[in-house]
Amino acid sequence: MAEMYRVDAPYRGSYRLERLTYGSGSPSVVVVGGLHGNELNGLHTCNILAGLLSHVRLQGTVHIFPAVNAFGMDQGTKRWPFDDRDINKAFPGDPEGSVVQRIAYALLQNSDADVCIDVHSASPLMRELPQVRVPLSGREVELGRAMGLPVVWRRAGDRLDATGLVGAWRQQGKSALHVLGGRGATLDVADSRAMAQGIMRLLDFMGILPVPTDEGSTLVDTTRAEVSYTYGSVGGFWVPEVRTGDFVKPGHLLGKITEVIGGGPLEEFRADREGVVVTMRTYPVVHARELLVRVADPVGD
Amino acid sequence: MSSFLSVICSIGMPTGERVDVVRRRFSNGNGARIAIVAGVRGDTPEGVRVAHIVASHLQEHHDKIKGTIDIYPCVNPLAAHRGMRRWPFFDQDLNRRFPGRPGAHAPDQVAYQLVQDLQGIDQLIEVRGANPAFTEALQAQVRHTDQAAAELARHANVEVVWARTPGPAAPSTLVYQFPSSIVLEGGTGNRLTAGVAESLANGVLNVLNVKGILPDEALPFHWAGVARPRVVVDANVRRVRAQVGGLFLPMVRPWGEVKGEQLLGEVVDPIGGRVLEEIRSPMGGRVLALREQPVVLPGTMVARIVSEANDG
Repeated sequence: MAEMYRVDAPYRGSYRLERLTYGSGSPSVVVVGGLHGNELNGLHTCNILAGLLSHVRLQGTVHIFPAVNAFGMDQGTKRWPFDDRDINKAFPGDPEGSVVQRIAYALLQNSDADVCIDVHSASPLMRELPQVRVPLSGREVELGRAMGLPVVWRRAGDRLDATGLVGAWRQQGKSALHVLGGRGATLDVADSRAMAQGIMRLLDFMGILPVPTDEGSTLVDTTRAEVSYTYGSVGGFWVPEVRTGDFVKPGHLLGKITEVIGGGPLEEFRADREGVVVTMRTYPVVHARELLVRVADPVGD
Repeated sequence: MSSFLSVICSIGMPTGERVDVVRRRFSNGNGARIAIVAGVRGDTPEGVRVAHIVASHLQEHHDKIKGTIDIYPCVNPLAAHRGMRRWPFFDQDLNRRFPGRPGAHAPDQVAYQLVQDLQGIDQLIEVRGANPAFTEALQAQVRHTDQAAAELARHANVEVVWARTPGPAAPSTLVYQFPSSIVLEGGTGNRLTAGVAESLANGVLNVLNVKGILPDEALPFHWAGVARPRVVVDANVRRVRAQVGGLFLPMVRPWGEVKGEQLLGEVVDPIGGRVLEEIRSPMGGRVLALREQPVVLPGTMVARIVSEANDG
């Protein structure tokens, strides 16, 4: 473990941007977790990956930053807790700027690699099937598919915001993948394991791993046009009837919104297509017009 | 004659309550239509207070108005209720959601409805307070390319007009949707300071006078007494940052005059009180903003200095 950047903080110990490195030479990958302090599946994914990599001799380099927003992590906040700034909106950073700009700058300066993988959870209100988000075309689609994650989501203009890590990375003309799974503010062990295994498959695909991995099982390889979004028209108490990863058919009950007091029925939601539940609202109190469920066409349709 | 109160957006809460975003309209005769928007963020009560004072004055002089003044006293009521910057629950900064989306979640709906309601206005004035960690001198901000807005803002009873270059987040802000907008800012975040809202309210009334909506006799002051601030650009404004963590002890006051290399403050060790850093002004000028919250990290801005040189 190596300290890449340090901030001496008043009233408490120092912030350290820690990096784990396995192997050496090309090709190279950097895996970043914990840009958001309350998305702990990214941290766990990095730690599972570190455990797996410590037992193999690599033909290339893997850098891992497990906990970029360590202060946010120990206070349960998404953003940097001192000034409530989002490190993932501070790229490409500035060595003379605010503290989150300095951290972003230090992260980019110390993550020279061929491919960047930015690992997140969903928000604390939602749960996502483990997935990789890539642009509509190009090398990142190939790299994303090599991960064998349950969902490959090709999105127009995905994450082109240059103030985010993935956007800043792409601005440099290099490949970056946005990986997320599970729910924020909690730990989803199975989803973290799935994301770590997906990264191992990518390392295999790039020739970094000396031994082959399994192929994984992609359920959905989709664009937005093949995804149904379900929104509630009223606020109330959301009671789901399906889970992420479930297969549903048209008419399948997805869930209902009931009255907060008394539980009387307000609105019922049914699938309008055959597909896989990739996104699910988990926090039960909902406002009108909030996203509740996403169902995507399964592979092979 | 009385003003007209309208609900521009009503948000249903899951528990059954409704939260309304309202507009108060003063209209009389033909003339320009000006909008005054406050409370986009919930930690800026100074702007809400400005809206109250302006509305109260217009109520008193309604018959002298020539035109329409729409006042939106607080467009982020749930955040204001808690004194927090972002729209609660969704944890969204409303001033990063414009132009909004119809049929989306509550912050986007409010942003959308507000932009729709503002269509056709001749001038938007957004009234804010400062960030809670800072005290800001009375100032107007306009887009750097908009000379007409800068000239109008010089009538807003402020110390300085800052013609700013929009940053990366600007396209999602309210004022960016209306190019000639003026932002008025001052005081300390999440706090009401005697005199601040009154000064900015006088500035708003004076702008209404310049736009021909409010006659001289309806002003609570003589127009000749209003200061004519200079216009500065980004090159005139320097951010001063701490280089070590600790407690920042300011040695100057907001809008105080400073010389180059003058001591602006010290950063001291929070446990023992030892001086860790002396922070000096990079140039002569005035203190445009000063950090109030003492805890700093390396890179935390402690002051903003505006130079004496006049580029306006």
